[in-house]
Amino acid sequence: MMKLPLKWLKDYVNYNVTHKEFASKMLLRGFEVADIIPEMKVSSVVVCTITHIEQHPNAERLRVCNIDIGAENELVIVTNATNVYEGCQVPVALGGAILADGMEIKPTKMRGVLSSGMFCGGAELGINDVEYEGAGADSVLILNGGTKYTNGMRIQEALGLDDVIFDIELTPNRPDCQSIIGLCREAASALGQKFHEPVIKPVAGSGSAADYAKVTVLNPNLCPRYCARVVTDLKIEPSPKWMQLRLKLSGIRPINNIVDITNYVLLEYGHPMHAFDLACIEDAHIVVRNAVEGEVITTLDGKERAVTPDMLLIADPHKGVGIAGVMGGLNSEITVNTKVTLFESAVFNAANIRRTTQKLHHSTDSSARFTKGVEAVNAALAVNRAIELVDILGAGRVIGSMIDVCNADISEKIVNADVCHINRILNTKLSGESMAELLSGISIPADVCENRLRIKVPHFRTDIEDGIETDWDIAEEVGRLYGYDNIEPTLMHGDSFQGRLSRSVIIEDSVKDTMAAMGFMELYNYNFTSPQEYDLLLIPQNDEKRNTVRLQNPFGEDQSLMRTTLIGGLLRTMRTNCNKKSGHGRFFEIGNVHFNNPDLPEERKMLGIIAYGGAGNVRNTENFFTLKGIIERLFEILCIENARFERGGGAYLHPGQKAVVSIDGEVIGEMGCTHPRVEKNFGLSCSAYLAEIDFNKLAAHTNNSRKYRPLPKFPIVPRDIAIVVDRNVEAQTVIDIINTAKTQVIVENAKVFDVYYPKEAGDKGIPEGKKSMAFSFELRSDERTLTDEDINRAVNTILKALKFRLDAVLRS
Amino acid sequence: MLDELAKIREDALKRLEKIKSEEELSELSTSVLGRNGALTAILRTMGKLSAERRAQLGKAANEVKQSIAEALEARKAMLDAFAEQKRIEEETVDVTLPGIIELPSGKLNPLTKVYREIRDALVGLGFTTFEGPEIEYDDFNFTKLNLPPDHPARDMQDTFYINDRVLLRTHTSPCEARALMTLKPPFRLVIPGRVFRVDEPDASHSPVFMQIEGLVVDKNLTFADLKGTIDTFVKAVFGENVRSRLRPSYFPFTEPSAEVDISCTICGGKGCSSCKGTGWMEIMGCGITNPHELQNCGLDPNEWSALAFGVGVDRVACLKYGISDIRLLYEGDARFLRQL
Repeated sequence: MMKLPLKWLKDYVNYNVTHKEFASKMLLRGFEVADIIPEMKVSSVVVCTITHIEQHPNAERLRVCNIDIGAENELVIVTNATNVYEGCQVPVALGGAILADGMEIKPTKMRGVLSSGMFCGGAELGINDVEYEGAGADSVLILNGGTKYTNGMRIQEALGLDDVIFDIELTPNRPDCQSIIGLCREAASALGQKFHEPVIKPVAGSGSAADYAKVTVLNPNLCPRYCARVVTDLKIEPSPKWMQLRLKLSGIRPINNIVDITNYVLLEYGHPMHAFDLACIEDAHIVVRNAVEGEVITTLDGKERAVTPDMLLIADPHKGVGIAGVMGGLNSEITVNTKVTLFESAVFNAANIRRTTQKLHHSTDSSARFTKGVEAVNAALAVNRAIELVDILGAGRVIGSMIDVCNADISEKIVNADVCHINRILNTKLSGESMAELLSGISIPADVCENRLRIKVPHFRTDIEDGIETDWDIAEEVGRLYGYDNIEPTLMHGDSFQGRLSRSVIIEDSVKDTMAAMGFMELYNYNFTSPQEYDLLLIPQNDEKRNTVRLQNPFGEDQSLMRTTLIGGLLRTMRTNCNKKSGHGRFFEIGNVHFNNPDLPEERKMLGIIAYGGAGNVRNTENFFTLKGIIERLFEILCIENARFERGGGAYLHPGQKAVVSIDGEVIGEMGCTHPRVEKNFGLSCSAYLAEIDFNKLAAHTNNSRKYRPLPKFPIVPRDIAIVVDRNVEAQTVIDIINTAKTQVIVENAKVFDVYYPKEAGDKGIPEGKKSMAFSFELRSDERTLTDEDINRAVNTILKALKFRLDAVLRS
Repeated sequence: MLDELAKIREDALKRLEKIKSEEELSELSTSVLGRNGALTAILRTMGKLSAERRAQLGKAANEVKQSIAEALEARKAMLDAFAEQKRIEEETVDVTLPGIIELPSGKLNPLTKVYREIRDALVGLGFTTFEGPEIEYDDFNFTKLNLPPDHPARDMQDTFYINDRVLLRTHTSPCEARALMTLKPPFRLVIPGRVFRVDEPDASHSPVFMQIEGLVVDKNLTFADLKGTIDTFVKAVFGENVRSRLRPSYFPFTEPSAEVDISCTICGGKGCSSCKGTGWMEIMGCGITNPHELQNCGLDPNEWSALAFGVGVDRVACLKYGISDIRLLYEGDARFLRQL
C-alpha cells in the first residue's frame, strides 16, 4: 500500500477528473485505489461567528452564545469554553456532525437551554499546530483574527485541509511505485497528462565529504552501493509545516528537520535513508559488516536486539550503530545537540533484509522497501535530494561531493524486444512505433529497428528483464498501456479436446450424492488438529494415527498438527451442533489426512461418517445397525460385493460395538459406536455412530464393469432354519458355514432374520449361555428342479456342519 | 316333488339373504347344489319316474338350480363389493396430516455444488480433471513457478511450513508444475483442491479454502484467447448476462497477468453496495504463463505457450448463495447446511 495525497500529485500532474474517475483509470492500469481518505475526518463542521454571549441562567460555568452560520436565523450554542468572545470566528459542529473520533453531535438541552451543537477545538477536529496554528491548545479553536471566513463555510475549506489521500495497492513487481514520484508517473499516464518530473538542483557545498568521514563496505554482496553525504553546522529544529503535514498525511510522525528530510525523501523517491550523528561514529568511519556472534544492538525505538552473523550491521570500528536496512542505533541518533550528520543512502540485499526482519520479528517502512527491492541509481538521487532539502530548509552547511562505495552495476540497461512476438502474445497488430509511443508515456524510451524495439530500461524499472522474459515483460507493458479492454477476445484454436472427469472424481461424486441422498450433510472441516485430541480419542501412543505432521508456524498449539483421522473433526461438529440444539445429526466428509514421512507426508483421502441422536422418533434413532445399513447401501450403489464386517477397530470405538470393514479381504475402514470414555472426553450428550473409510481403497473396489449373470433357470427353494448356539456365536460365522457346507446343490443368499436371547435360563427351551438364531437361505440347481430328497439332504448337510462346527442344535 | 323343489328354492333364497361371508356362501352352495345337496338328492330320485314326468320335473329342477346359482352369484358380488368398500374405508387417511420424513434431509456442502458447476463448465470446454497433494514441496509451490526463495511476492501468500522444503500448498498452482513436467502437451486441465494460507479466520478469510485452476498448454496461445476463455467460463458459471473484464495485475507465474472482474451479480453493473458502486466484482486471477515457469518445468517457451486462471470456490459460493461469512462453509452448522 502506498498513500498518495492529491495535493502532492498535483505538484507533478495536471489533475482534471473526479476522484472516482481517477480511481477507475488507475485500476485499469493495474493500480487499485483501495480507499479515498479525506485529510480531515470530520463532517458538518462549519465556520461561525459568535454574535452574542450571555451567562447561562441556571449554570455558573456555562455560557449561551448566539452564532451566525450564514443562514437566515441565528442558532444557540451552550458552551463551557472561556476563551470565546463576541465577534470571534470558531468551528462549530451542528446536529448530525461527525467529529474526528467518530462521535456524532446531536442538539442537546443543557440545564434547560437547547444547544444546536458544540464549538470545536483541535482535538475534536483531529488536528494540532502542524495543521493550523493554535489547534494544539486545549480549548475552542479561535480562527486566526484578521482573516474573515465566510460563515457556514466547511471547516476543511477554511483551514485549507481539504486534501484527499488515495490509498493505493501495489503489486510486488513495481517497487518503483512505492514512491510519490513513481505513482505520479503512472498517474500522469493513466490520466493522459504530462508528467512534470522533478529535477534535483545540485548543491555543490564546500570541501569534500571524504575529509569528514570514511565508508568501508566489508560485504559488498549484501551492500552493493553505499552513498553518503555530510552536513555540518546543523541547526536541529522542527521541519517546516508543509513538510510535517505531508509526512503526517502518509502516517509518519514528524521528529526534527534532519530526520524528517530522510523520511520525506523515503516517501518522495521511495529510497530509505538514515542520518547518523557523525560525532557518535568513532573515527567518523562507517563499516558495513556482518554482525558477530552474541552482538546486541539497541535500536532507535529503545529496544535491545540480539543480532546474528547472517545479519548486516552498520558499524564504526568499535560498535554497531544500526541494523542495515531495518533501523538505526540509539547510540548515533540525531539529537538537538547534533552538529554534524552523515546521510546514508544505500542498497542492501533484499533477501537478506527479508530474512533479518523475519528473524527479528520487526519490520519498518525502510525494511519493507528494501525487501521489495531498491535500486542503486536511486540511492544517489535520494541522498542528493536530501542535500537539496537541507539547503532549502537552511538546516546546515552542505559539504561537497558524495562518498560512493559502489559495487552495483549502474550502467544503462538496453534490452531488445520482438515486435511480432509481442503482437503474437497479445493478438494485436500494433506497429513498433505505436508500441514505442505507448512506452514513452511511462518514461520508457524505445527505438524501433527492423521489427525490434530497442529499449533503454529506466533505472527504476528493475522488473524489466534482459533475457527470456523480455518480450513478455514488454508485452505486459504494451498491453497495459494499450488497454486490456481494447484486445478483442478470441476462442482458442487448434485441436479440439475432449474433457473428462477422472475415475476417482466420478466415484467421489457418486459417494457424495449417495450420502446426501441418505440424509447426510457434507462437511469441510479444517485439516488442523491438536495433540490433545489424540488423547481424547484414546489413540494408543504407538498407533499410526500419532504419526502426525507438525506445522512450523501454526495459529496455536491446538491447531498445530495436520489431522491423521477425520473422527476428531466429526465429533467436534457433533458437539457444536448439539450445543445449538440441532437434535438428530447425520454428517459426512471426504477429506485428506496426512501421515509423517521423511519426504512428502503420506496423503490419504478418507470418507468420514457420523450419525447420532434422534431419540423420540423411532424411525430416526441412530444405532450401530442404522449406520451399518448406510454403509452397506453405499457399497451396493458402488457395486461393491464381498464386504465383511468383523469385530474390531480403533480404541475410540465402543469395545462391544465396533467392526472392521473389509472388501475381498482388504481392510478399508472401520465403524462403530463411540467409546463411553470418548463421549465423556468430547462432552457429548449421546452416543455417536462413526465410520472412517479409506476413499481410494473404496474406489479401487468399486466395480463399474459388472456383467450380467444368467437368471436361474430352475425354481429356487427358500428354507428357514432356527438353531440354538452359544451366546457369543456371531451371525457371520453361521452364514459362512451355511455358504460353505458341502451340499450337492447351490446355496445362496443366507441371511439372519431373527436372534433371540432367553430372558432366563430355560426360557422357550433354550439352555443357559445359549441363544436362538434364525436364518433363511435359498437352494437351487443349474441342472434341474430340486426334489424333496435333494432339499432334505442339503439342509441336513448344513445342519450337520453347524452341529460339528458350532455344536448348533436345530430348534424344535 | 314340485313342491319340494319350490321349498328348496324358497329356503335357499331365504338363507342367502342372511349370508355375510364367502365361507357361508360356499357352505350354502354345497348344501343345496353339491353332490350331497338337497337339489341333487331330488334329481337322484327322478330315475324312478315316467319319462314324461321326468322331463317335466327335470326342467323344473334345472330352473331352480339356475335361479339359486344366480342368486348365489349375485350375493357373492354384493359381498365382494361390500368387502372392498370396507377395506377402502378402513384404509382411508386424513390427507391433510403432515407427511412423515423417513430420512433427515441430506445436503451437499455449497462448496461441492459450486466446485462441480465450475468443474463441469470447464469439462464442457475440453478440460480434464487433475489433482495433486495438499502438502507440497516448496520447489513446486514457489520456485518452479518463478518464485525463487526470498522473492518478495512470496509475502503475497503467507505460508504454513512443515520444514524448509515442505509446506501446505498456498494455491493449486503446484499442480501446474506437476502437469507440465509429466504430461505431454497439448492439454487442458481443471485442477481443484484445498489450499492453505496463514490468515486468521474472519468473515472473508479462512486459513483453509478451495481453489479451482484452469491450465491450457498449446501452441500460440494469446492474451485474446485468455480473454475469450475467461468470458466463456464466466458466462457458463454465472449466467449469459454476466460480463467480464480483465485488468492488469501481477502474479509471478503469469505475464501478462490480469485480475478478472465480473459485472456485479447483485445490481447487474449499475453500482450498488456489494460492488462498492463500481458495478464490478473481483472474482479471479489469470494470465499467460510466465516463460520462466515453462522453462523451469522443461518446456521451451518459444515452442509452447500456456494460459492459466484460478478461482476461489469459496468466493463464488458466497456470491452465488449470498453468504456473508466464509466461515459458515467450514463450521458444519446443520442449520446453515440445511438451507442451501
